[in-house]
Amino acid sequence: MPSLRESVHLVSDPRNLDVSVEEVFQLMLGVRCERDGLPLAAEPESVTAVVGFGGLLSGACVFRSGSTAALKIAAHMTGMEFDEIDDTVKDGIGEICNMLAGAWKGKVPNLAANCGLSVPAVITGRDYNLHVQAPEFQIHHTYRFEDTGFAVTIVCDGLR
Amino acid sequence: MKEIRTLIVDDSSVMRKIVERALRQAGLDTLVVHEAGSGVEGLDLLRTKQVDVILSDINMPSMDGLEFLRQIRAQSLAPGVPVVMITTESSEEHVKQAIQAGAQGYIRKPFTAEQVKERVLPLLRTA
Repeated sequence: MPSLRESVHLVSDPRNLDVSVEEVFQLMLGVRCERDGLPLAAEPESVTAVVGFGGLLSGACVFRSGSTAALKIAAHMTGMEFDEIDDTVKDGIGEICNMLAGAWKGKVPNLAANCGLSVPAVITGRDYNLHVQAPEFQIHHTYRFEDTGFAVTIVCDGLR
Repeated sequence: MKEIRTLIVDDSSVMRKIVERALRQAGLDTLVVHEAGSGVEGLDLLRTKQVDVILSDINMPSMDGLEFLRQIRAQSLAPGVPVVMITTESSEEHVKQAIQAGAQGYIRKPFTAEQVKERVLPLLRTA
């Protein structure tokens, strides 16, 4: 089995995440989004979706947003309006995270072929943190679209 | 105009709606859509409904899309009906596995309605 150790610079290239986010938002939502250096604005309720990586790379793709962005994303995906984070919104956010994870790993051929994805897990609530212990590397970017924001994090805790 | 009977299999109800919308945007106005949230549900549906094309996700809990496809062929359900896999998995290896399992087409998520049209319409003409 090939090793990812020699191509770690490609795997951890932060531009791959930006291109993946732009691609998913443009194709599936029909909206432009841009990288934003600012931290996420605090909102009472937030949504976090996690898709795990397994294989040559182990870790996770984590999507996080406040309810404003989550409701807008679900509305763009379905053509419906939402006023609360219901099961359809959670389902939509899970799928966005799934597509982000797939698009990101697809940018490195060796990773695309030798790294599987878990089904998405979605967490909603108030005042919680996601803690990852000493990852091998981590890429954390925030993005903006339609006056709201979200964050995407790639956490790699093992690379073979 | 002849109805196009479609089975869409995906554990995400949002993705099933997006695929249906893409098919309608592709010009399939006479679409009759059957939905299944898993491979097991999809197999049950195929025992009672006739369809013209099947679009299935790969990465699903309990029975993934490749196993669903193998079971369709093994149980001779929907003989001659084209199956298109729609998935985030995009490597050559995944495409090869899908073709070996009996898929006639492969669409990578995220996708455009145009891509759905290009992959699905020719299969309906030859089916």
